[in-house]
Amino acid sequence: MEKNKEQELAAIRKDLKEMIVRDLSLEDIKPEDIKDDEVLFGEGLGLDSLDAVEIVVLLQRNFGMEVKNMDQGKEIFQSIDTMAHFVYENKNKAS
Amino acid sequence: MSQKKDVERKRGNRLGFWFFRTAVRIFGLRGTYGLLYIVSLYYLAFDHAAVAASKAYVRRRFPDHGVLRQMFDVYLLFVSQGKSLIDRYFVAAGGNEIGLELVGYEKIKDLLADGKKGIILLTAHVGNWQVAMTSLGKLDRDVYLMMRTEDNVAVKEALNIDSEKETVRIIYTDGAMGGVIEALKAINRGDIVSIMGDRTYGYASIEVSLLGGKVRFPYGAFSLASAARCPVAVLLSAKIGVTKHVVDFSHVINPPANRQGNKEEEIHACVQEFAGVLEEYAVRYPYQWFVFRDMWQGND
Repeated sequence: MEKNKEQELAAIRKDLKEMIVRDLSLEDIKPEDIKDDEVLFGEGLGLDSLDAVEIVVLLQRNFGMEVKNMDQGKEIFQSIDTMAHFVYENKNKAS
Repeated sequence: MSQKKDVERKRGNRLGFWFFRTAVRIFGLRGTYGLLYIVSLYYLAFDHAAVAASKAYVRRRFPDHGVLRQMFDVYLLFVSQGKSLIDRYFVAAGGNEIGLELVGYEKIKDLLADGKKGIILLTAHVGNWQVAMTSLGKLDRDVYLMMRTEDNVAVKEALNIDSEKETVRIIYTDGAMGGVIEALKAINRGDIVSIMGDRTYGYASIEVSLLGGKVRFPYGAFSLASAARCPVAVLLSAKIGVTKHVVDFSHVINPPANRQGNKEEEIHACVQEFAGVLEEYAVRYPYQWFVFRDMWQGND
């Protein structure tokens, strides 16, 4: 069961990286270059609030998930890892 | 805080607001306007920073005016801005003499009625946007102003917005995620989000042409609109009589639909279109665009 969870999380991380590179037009970055625990906003990947718009929409359109408010967003969008966990947990709540 | 930023800050300080609000109560609207001609002379004579900041716009708007004529243009700008401030407080104090002529209002109503989404209103430091905001009441939607916490706190207090009874609220852009989540939610609920479009405040911006030079305007409104799939309506107002303002919603800009392809170019085109609208406004109402800084030198 743990193995399935890890496999699913790995798949979600991969999807998220590809979506972020594609939807945010990060031309000089390949999905595999983004580390799972890399800070997304400010330092690290260096995303800004306008990129946050795209990521909120990305979660909504691809996973049907809504971010409730800015404080929740701040927690979820720390890294690919935190985003993947958010998607995984909400997918399992829904099913 | 730099001296240049302080010039604009002085325009909205609490003491000034108190003075004009009190003057309106005592002298009425027209009487208070009379005080302006003297107050504006004072600023023209002694507020060198304000004069210098205004001249950047005046030189570009009136390139064929000589030095003295341009000083007079600056004086007229000060008087015009003073009248705008006085009108603002007159309205906030319950004054109902001010009439509004609405242009493009039906278009906005149709946009809101057509879909479940709200719209973004893109505004600028022209005319009297607070008076313009009063025209939105009939749309029966909440209006969210996106602004930094520090910007014109006194104005917020003066207008008593963000109280429970009001339908005008604030989304702070200096918080987590720049307030974009709250803005997206508001638009998805069918509400209206208002964003100032002629100052960057340090946020992401793009270079466009304006009055013969290059300036940087923020493009966040169009990125947000693109993500939310909603239109952007340019909201401008102008004083066209002692007690009459025109509020114009007629110019609607549709942002690009998705992020791929030429989206960056399309967003640039949107911002340039907005700059073009402002340039037309400057031609028509030259003394009602309150640009007290040199946008062309990157002072934004």
